[in-house]
Amino acid sequence: MLWVWIVIGVVVLLLLVLVYGYNRLVRLRQEVNTGWANIDVQLQRRADLIPNLVESVRGYASHERETFDVVTRARTALQQANTPAQAAVADEGLTTALGKLFAVAEAYPDLKASQNFLELQEELTDTEDKISAARRYYNATVMAFNTAIQSFPWLLLAGPFGFRARQFFSAEGDTARPEVSFAT
Amino acid sequence: MTLQEQIRSNRLRSTIVVFGFALLLGIVGALIGVIFNLSLGIVALVGAGLYAIFAILSSRRMVAGMTRAQEIGPDDLKPLRRIVENVSIAAGLPVTPDVRIVDDPAPNAFAAGLRPTSSYLGVTTGLLRTMPKRELEAVLGHEISHVRNRDTYLMTMATIFAGVIALIADIGFRMLIFGGGGGRDRKGGGILVLVLAIVGLLLAPYAAMLLRMSLSRRREFLADAGSAEILNDPEAMALALKRLQLDTTTIKYADAAVAHLWVESPTQRVESERSGVNFLSGLFDTHPPLDTRIAALEQAGGFRLPDELSSDEPFAKELGLDG
Repeated sequence: MLWVWIVIGVVVLLLLVLVYGYNRLVRLRQEVNTGWANIDVQLQRRADLIPNLVESVRGYASHERETFDVVTRARTALQQANTPAQAAVADEGLTTALGKLFAVAEAYPDLKASQNFLELQEELTDTEDKISAARRYYNATVMAFNTAIQSFPWLLLAGPFGFRARQFFSAEGDTARPEVSFAT
Repeated sequence: MTLQEQIRSNRLRSTIVVFGFALLLGIVGALIGVIFNLSLGIVALVGAGLYAIFAILSSRRMVAGMTRAQEIGPDDLKPLRRIVENVSIAAGLPVTPDVRIVDDPAPNAFAAGLRPTSSYLGVTTGLLRTMPKRELEAVLGHEISHVRNRDTYLMTMATIFAGVIALIADIGFRMLIFGGGGGRDRKGGGILVLVLAIVGLLLAPYAAMLLRMSLSRRREFLADAGSAEILNDPEAMALALKRLQLDTTTIKYADAAVAHLWVESPTQRVESERSGVNFLSGLFDTHPPLDTRIAALEQAGGFRLPDELSSDEPFAKELGLDG
């Protein structure tokens, strides 16, 4: 009879480990989702500020149409981004476009002095700081989750239960290795 | 160990601590029962329990009162709030804690509140006038780590329980000295038991204090590490600690009951100057020495602090505070 009890004991132990491991992975994944939601809120806030900013610059420099188009396109790209890596690339694109817009603004002293423009600029800087703060948290949660599902024994659970590695919020796309092209 | 696991181990520890204090409270009650009589012991316990519940419910206000932290208006000190917001986002807190200001020249900060959703940070005006932005961020990161790790919950509970135990032990002792002693004609336990009980009553507050201190000290290392991790800048935390070390002002209102809440021990210097007994002061310090904390950060971050601190402008300039 003894060996029956031993088998039962081992099975129960394995089940407990399974439950613990599964719950741990679910929790880690939930943290990644929360982290991503935090970034998303800030990205949305940043995108929402853009039309006002463009309008306020347009009031002083209506003929700089090309710059406005670049900014608007960059904003649309950010809103249409589907994955963290895409969003990171689009976010950098928007930063570049905004850099051009602010360079244009430099040439208009009245605009630079306008209260509305200054406030928008401050809001934008603040949002950018918040995006980078949210990025730090998100990337840390991704790191914890990815490490967990790639390390033994949890990697045995990750496959069957559909836990997939998540992307970092990074323009370099840390999960997708840079493609090396040998074509000339 | 991931952060969530750390938080969970902290919760477990909290439970153990609460039980530890309950046990200690039971012992004190039993001692009073032995020295005087049983019903007095029960009355003391029930009274202490009620007081503890009341204290937990009003802890937010109590801590604010003891530290003299004042709320600020929604539009005041916006840059400071922004930093707090950003650091809380980086820490992944669900809600940004409120900021309160303590009008005191000594640079220091604390965190309080039972839940992360109802926490607040206290910052002295001295801190704002001493620290440049980078180091101020690190200090706020340290406090926010306390909130995130649920240290504030544990510490608030510990403070209340230690206070309650000290209170009833004190009352029992006073009754013993100034007459009272209604049960002394009851020759139940003999003189030895009575002496032991009195010694126990004397030692109980110290036991409670030790329990509380032992809790808060390793948490300081954890919070330093947390700040370094949140901001990805261990050097900033070490620089901030160095600056605190070089600063010689201590908090005016350093109430020993809330000493462990601050980033730097507010009473440390006073204590170490007062008492020559290093072993004891080491045991009863709420915070590990700053040198040790800086060394731990240097080791973890793989850097050495420069001898000279930066002469960057203190953050108070940006806030438009005078001085």
